[in-house]
Amino acid sequence: MITNLRTRFKPTPWIAWIAFLSIFLIIGVTGGVIVLWKGLSVTNLTDLVPWGLWIAIDLSSIALAAGAFSLCAVVYLIGLKEYEPIARTATFVGLIGYSMAMLCLFMDIGRPFKFYQAFIYWNTHSLLWEVTMCVGLYFTVLVLESMPIIANLKWLRTRYPKLTAKMSRVHHYAPYLAIAGLFLSSLHQSSLGATYGVLKSRPFWYKPEMSVLFMLSAILGGISITLFASMMASQLTNKAKVKDELIEKLSKFVGWALVGYFYWRFWSTLSMTYTYEPGRTEGLELLTKGPLAFNFWFGEILIGIFVPMILLLNKKTRSNRFWRMTALLMVVGGVIAFRWNINISGAMIVLSYLPGQPTVTYASYTPSLVEWMVGGGVIAYGLFTFSLGVRYLHVVDHDMIEEEHVPVNVKVPQTARA
Amino acid sequence: MSKLERRDFLKLAGAGAAGLVGMQVMRPTAHASSGAEAGEQQWAMVIDQSKCTGCGHCTLACRAHNDISPEISWNEVIQVEPVGDKDAFLPRPCMHCEHAPCVDVCMVGASYYRSDGIVMMDYDKCIGCRYCEIACPYQARSFNWEKFDGENPAVPEWGQPEVERRPRGVPEKCSFCYQRIDRGLAHGLTPGVDPDATPACVVACPTGARVFGDLNDPESKVSKIINSRPTVRLRDELGTAPRVYYVLATPEAFEEAEA
Repeated sequence: MITNLRTRFKPTPWIAWIAFLSIFLIIGVTGGVIVLWKGLSVTNLTDLVPWGLWIAIDLSSIALAAGAFSLCAVVYLIGLKEYEPIARTATFVGLIGYSMAMLCLFMDIGRPFKFYQAFIYWNTHSLLWEVTMCVGLYFTVLVLESMPIIANLKWLRTRYPKLTAKMSRVHHYAPYLAIAGLFLSSLHQSSLGATYGVLKSRPFWYKPEMSVLFMLSAILGGISITLFASMMASQLTNKAKVKDELIEKLSKFVGWALVGYFYWRFWSTLSMTYTYEPGRTEGLELLTKGPLAFNFWFGEILIGIFVPMILLLNKKTRSNRFWRMTALLMVVGGVIAFRWNINISGAMIVLSYLPGQPTVTYASYTPSLVEWMVGGGVIAYGLFTFSLGVRYLHVVDHDMIEEEHVPVNVKVPQTARA
Repeated sequence: MSKLERRDFLKLAGAGAAGLVGMQVMRPTAHASSGAEAGEQQWAMVIDQSKCTGCGHCTLACRAHNDISPEISWNEVIQVEPVGDKDAFLPRPCMHCEHAPCVDVCMVGASYYRSDGIVMMDYDKCIGCRYCEIACPYQARSFNWEKFDGENPAVPEWGQPEVERRPRGVPEKCSFCYQRIDRGLAHGLTPGVDPDATPACVVACPTGARVFGDLNDPESKVSKIINSRPTVRLRDELGTAPRVYYVLATPEAFEEAEA
């Protein structure tokens, strides 16, 4: 029996990869159980820095999921049909990103099993209400958009052919779903920035351009991770097939978008240097000279924006697969660094409320072991699901031609036709 | 794509945007507690800094009456920079802002205004996202990182619990002892005058540094002080309009208080 198993069990890179991720998944689940059992006291979060690593992961995964709405809009609304296979990948990446964010939030809220109350009790004035509603609705849109992808599962196809046929037919409504996706995503991607931007209590966050920065960086990061993941998958397995010229064209767009993002990020930072503003100036120093300086200058600006901008705008490096992948990965890293920096820099600056004492104190935060365990688990879940998707759902397959979706019929008045 | 004209899409987007703008315009009438919608009474507190000796009795009485964990203070007494050669303190309850950032940001509406101006927490609605903690400029909120299930060391020396303990995973804060106000009013007492209807910290203060009462009543002690003496509100420039007023200490005021 054992020898039989041994002969049948051949370690392949695939199995090694899955085993590697499973270790992190098990650690993550363990961490999750500890959090649910012991409560948030196992984290290093405090009343002054109540949002930490998990929020950074949650913000990053929502940002990196933004490729779904941007590329679906490109394909179904602007009508650049040739990018449809990439939009398919982006949709699946989006589904993973949002589920990662929701997993992370489930861990992060004080009463996880009351999460549904966020949908029952409404304070329409709250930015987080808007984000919650949009994320909930958009996740539904993503599930619908992913139906035709999930219908590719061979096992499901052979067993329930009628069901998968129905699931595939959802694709007919792709343009409508793209409209809903664009609408909901534009709302909550920017509102995530505004969540911080409206807080007068934390002067370093209190600025309107937070929404713009979040929106722009999300589109950049979302497209970049989709392209990177597609290329990576095609390098590692023949289950993934990519059309390099499509990816190259989109990468060029990413390059130009980086120019815009660079301008905004730099402008937003520079405009804060003009006069002394209690709290804000200290926040800026923290970011540009203090403990976050490496993250900011190296992670965000140099590696996150500047270098990939050059690599992607220069035709020579862009057409080289290695350099293009490197650049795209850098963009993803830059967006994550941005999310981390924004969250932590604002939280660390605490402005005194004592009369006549506009003094600033610095809070500190280092994630605890359990936070890393859960965070690692959530990331492993994302990689795990994507890997399964590549292998069994053909999420990266640029040769696959989707069924034609029904064109959107806009009723034309009789007079106009005549 | 072909049949969905860009124009139509823009129309759709425009309609959506108009809807959102509409929501924003409607907002102020929807929740503001100030002005016409406000109830008959508007509770406020005045704290005379020159009378505060930093003894911390208020914090202990607060912990007992509201059954608070010793790790948490709804009413922190902070030592501030000395005034002249005297130690100075600043007790900090919840400011019960008229425009409270915590109420604005709470996604489930667990933080809300009572018609008497008290900013309340509905601990059942709260899911524990801690957005209110970040939004509060006064650090008046404390999160229950752990369940408080031990004995309360402040009980019975400093009073008896009057409200339920909060569960793990929600932020909690001062409520102006709403339970004492409500029960007192039901028995025909006057909050701010009768100790049984007045917040526990005000009653416990041995030097009378705290005064509580109705802003709408020109004869109340708080109205009289606010109308006759210079008072400040913390971080007033933020526009939160706190309902806790401070009479700041001056060297002369200290001497007067001691005399």
